[in-house]
Amino acid sequence: MTFLEFTEGPMWRFAAFVFLLGVFWHLAHWLMRRHPKDLSKPLGSGFAGAVGTLFRHFLPSPHFLSRNWLVTFAGYAFHLGLFALVLFFGPHIEFIQTHITGFGWEPMPYWGFIVACQLAFAGLLILWLKRVLDPVLRLISDSGDQVGTLLTFIVMLTGCMALMQSYDFLRALHMLTVNLWLIYFPFSRLMHAFTWVLSRAETGAVYGRRGSSL
Amino acid sequence: MSARNTIDRLMERTNPAIASYLDACVHCGLCAAACHFYETSGDPRHTPAYKLKPLEKAYKRHKAPFSNLRKAFGLAPPEVSDGELREWQELIYDTCTMCGRCTLACPMGIDIAGTIGVMRTAMFEGGFTPSDLVEQAQRAKDVGSPLGVTPELLAERLEWIADEFETEVPLDKTGAEVMLTASSIEVMKYTESIGSMAKIFNHAGVNWTFSSKGYEATNFGVLSGNGDVNRTMVTRLVDAAEELQVKLVVIPECGHALGALRWTGPNVIGRELPFEVLHISEYLAKLKRDGRLKLKSYGKPMTYHDPCQVSRRGGATKAARELLNGFAQDFRESKHAGTANWCCGGGGGVISISDPKTVDGRLKAFKIKMDQVDDTEADVVVSACSNCRLALDDGAKHYAWGREITNLAEVVAEQLEE
Amino acid sequence: MQPADRRDRRFHRFVVMGWMLVWVVCAAAVTVDSAAAQGQPAAAQATAEDNNPRANFWRAIRRGVEGYSAVQGQETNVLIQGSGENWRMARERLLVPIVSGLLGAVLVIILLYHILHGRIPLEGGRSGRRVRRFSLNQQLVHWFAAILFVLLGLTGIVLLLGRSVLIPLMGKDAFAVSASLSKEVHNLFGPIFILAVLLMLFSYIRGNGFSRIDWLWLKRAGGLFGKGHVAAGKYNMGQKLWFWSVVLIGTVLCGSGLVLDFAVVGQERWIMQLAQISHVVGAVVLMVAGIGHAYIGSVGMEGALEAMTQGEVDANWAKEHHSLWYEQIEAGEGNPAEGTKAPQAGSAPAAGAATSGR
Repeated sequence: MTFLEFTEGPMWRFAAFVFLLGVFWHLAHWLMRRHPKDLSKPLGSGFAGAVGTLFRHFLPSPHFLSRNWLVTFAGYAFHLGLFALVLFFGPHIEFIQTHITGFGWEPMPYWGFIVACQLAFAGLLILWLKRVLDPVLRLISDSGDQVGTLLTFIVMLTGCMALMQSYDFLRALHMLTVNLWLIYFPFSRLMHAFTWVLSRAETGAVYGRRGSSL
Repeated sequence: MSARNTIDRLMERTNPAIASYLDACVHCGLCAAACHFYETSGDPRHTPAYKLKPLEKAYKRHKAPFSNLRKAFGLAPPEVSDGELREWQELIYDTCTMCGRCTLACPMGIDIAGTIGVMRTAMFEGGFTPSDLVEQAQRAKDVGSPLGVTPELLAERLEWIADEFETEVPLDKTGAEVMLTASSIEVMKYTESIGSMAKIFNHAGVNWTFSSKGYEATNFGVLSGNGDVNRTMVTRLVDAAEELQVKLVVIPECGHALGALRWTGPNVIGRELPFEVLHISEYLAKLKRDGRLKLKSYGKPMTYHDPCQVSRRGGATKAARELLNGFAQDFRESKHAGTANWCCGGGGGVISISDPKTVDGRLKAFKIKMDQVDDTEADVVVSACSNCRLALDDGAKHYAWGREITNLAEVVAEQLEE
Repeated sequence: MQPADRRDRRFHRFVVMGWMLVWVVCAAAVTVDSAAAQGQPAAAQATAEDNNPRANFWRAIRRGVEGYSAVQGQETNVLIQGSGENWRMARERLLVPIVSGLLGAVLVIILLYHILHGRIPLEGGRSGRRVRRFSLNQQLVHWFAAILFVLLGLTGIVLLLGRSVLIPLMGKDAFAVSASLSKEVHNLFGPIFILAVLLMLFSYIRGNGFSRIDWLWLKRAGGLFGKGHVAAGKYNMGQKLWFWSVVLIGTVLCGSGLVLDFAVVGQERWIMQLAQISHVVGAVVLMVAGIGHAYIGSVGMEGALEAMTQGEVDANWAKEHHSLWYEQIEAGEGNPAEGTKAPQAGSAPAAGAATSGR
């Protein structure tokens, strides 16, 4: 078995398994806990509040933009760029089609890929630099933040290196780092990719019942 | 002092919501810009997310998904220590008003203020609460009010207010439909607030009363984290209201009192409330809507300071605007008014802490509110919370600030058409 | 002779030797193959006609004559670009040895300098008072540019020097992989560097204008020549020259880089070649100067690195190395060229005007 066959074969299956099981267990942990019943008389709908908060927090609050603009824009650049890359880059769609869904979709044009790449890298770099330079972030960050950032960056970098798919080794290296990232994911703060739904919905529900929108 | 008690209580009270918050925080630091304490001190320790660190640590060690796995591999955070909690007392009490503004900035929508409230109950169990708050909470339970207003003193003061403001102030009136409550600071200092509310109710023909068995609206159990006092204060109000068989209990010009009875009260006593609860601003807006208030218009340029627990966390943001629009001829909204308004710095019990360092921090934070009001160039700043009023007055004295500071009920009462 | 004087003289000697080394390397590279680009066609001409009647025809093609091509496209009617061979020779016989020589020389010189002269100490010791020098955003922009520059520089070096240096070390297969990944990374991160240069320009332009004291600073090479410290404002001449090099040469790098990276807007071969040469020349200038900058900003000078990692410097450092800037701060004239607002960490308690404003 070649290195590429290993990373795209048994190791990928193992990583995907750990990822799915881990994410499921993490979310089930929340689902299994019973929500204490709220005996207060609602003034508004908790459900509507949850949905409202879920979507409202996608946009930055205008009240803090003047202070938070850098992290806000870098955050959007990174997340949107990465989202576009993962789901709309040709070779990724091929991989998903072959190994996961059985169907694919229209990839983005080349210039779209370039733009997405620039945004994702620039965003991540700026966010990481802010984390290591800003006294606030230095204080609240821990090793988990650094590992998560580093792993994500390495996945992106090896992806870059493997462009044009000219060399199996580079492609396999990228797949190796992706697998490691998938295995690390459920045990780390990378889970925010799923937990944002829970936390926003919880807050939205509480304050929606109160007739306030937070 | 015992960190063990605090940790146990924290884990007990970590419900799914709090668990989701602790899982979701990505340490992005955006909450700092929303916090008046951080913005004026520049101290990174005042970052809202940082306040939750001991809880996050304890959660990751004991209750988080995979915490056992982490412990097995030696990757779990170390146990939270006494020293840490002592250090955190200042962050959870002295430099946090539980105003909730940070939640607006958080991309994960984490309710930091609500979580701080839970942390306070655990801190109290461990003995890490500032003595000022512990004492006032205990006095409230023993005597009836944090400032020592006994039922007898209440009766005396209400009589005096009735005289002074030439209006009826009923106490323990059977058959009343509305029970009004008061905060001790209004009984003792801002008597014009009670006088004004009385005048307005009488003008509108409301069938109302105070109760000598349940009158204290403030809840230092909530502010200090003393669950027993919390329960006692809520129970007194509920029992008094049930005895009088009122349909509505009105919370006076106080912030946290609204949430303490309407939102968390039922869950604290374990049953639904058999009556409606409205903040005075909401009730005045209702009376105006129902056409029961004949008001002259108010001419002075004025702006409104949203009490955090009434507007942002209480749901009554619109009520004040409903009341003031049309009534106040020159009503100027400040920048960030409404749900995102800046905190005055006095809530959450902070105004009650006499430690000079805390007072200093609060006065510094107050500068933001001062600048915000100054920008509107309004002559008058109106609030609907006596704690806010205390903070505004204290700040005005410290900075020789020339604005007129008053409350909603006063402003309305002054303009009642006889 | 004082020990300091002896050290100074030894240092000067080494600097001179180092520069001589650099020039020798360059001269050697240039003279060795100056004949290589010319000559062969002429010598071959005499006998070519006898053996190959079409020799003239192919000679013309070799020199870049235009013809007809059934394939229509960018320069498809020119089979061989004549001057291309000149470019190839220039790249292989000039750029490659000069760049490797310069990079090697600068590393050697700095190493020798550091061994002999040591770190520039803070003569007055640390005062404990801190002065804010750079805002958070300025720090961020600097490291953003620096990280990109290092990444691009390393991958760029592999692309330029890889064949000669790496193939002997790792073999052709491994080098092929290295070159491929370097090309991809270099081409992808390149455009982000445009953003970095723009951000550097806007973040640091205030304070980087030239004045008389800068020329005085230059005359004394920042204190290398003559005795005692030299006066400087917030930025000394060395820093100003470095800033403008980054901006101007950085612009050249970005422009030539775009030409090279996105060869889809009708560039002809000669433009690509010109772009490549200017790209390499610009890069090596910035790399050599950048290595010096990185050295003096970190290991080479006590108290310098924290300016960029924490945004603050010791007051004595400011007094010694940027005396005029320090005086302005002490006189309460704010913090010149501070730039954007940033939240300040609680600094050590300051007596006097050492400030941490917004």
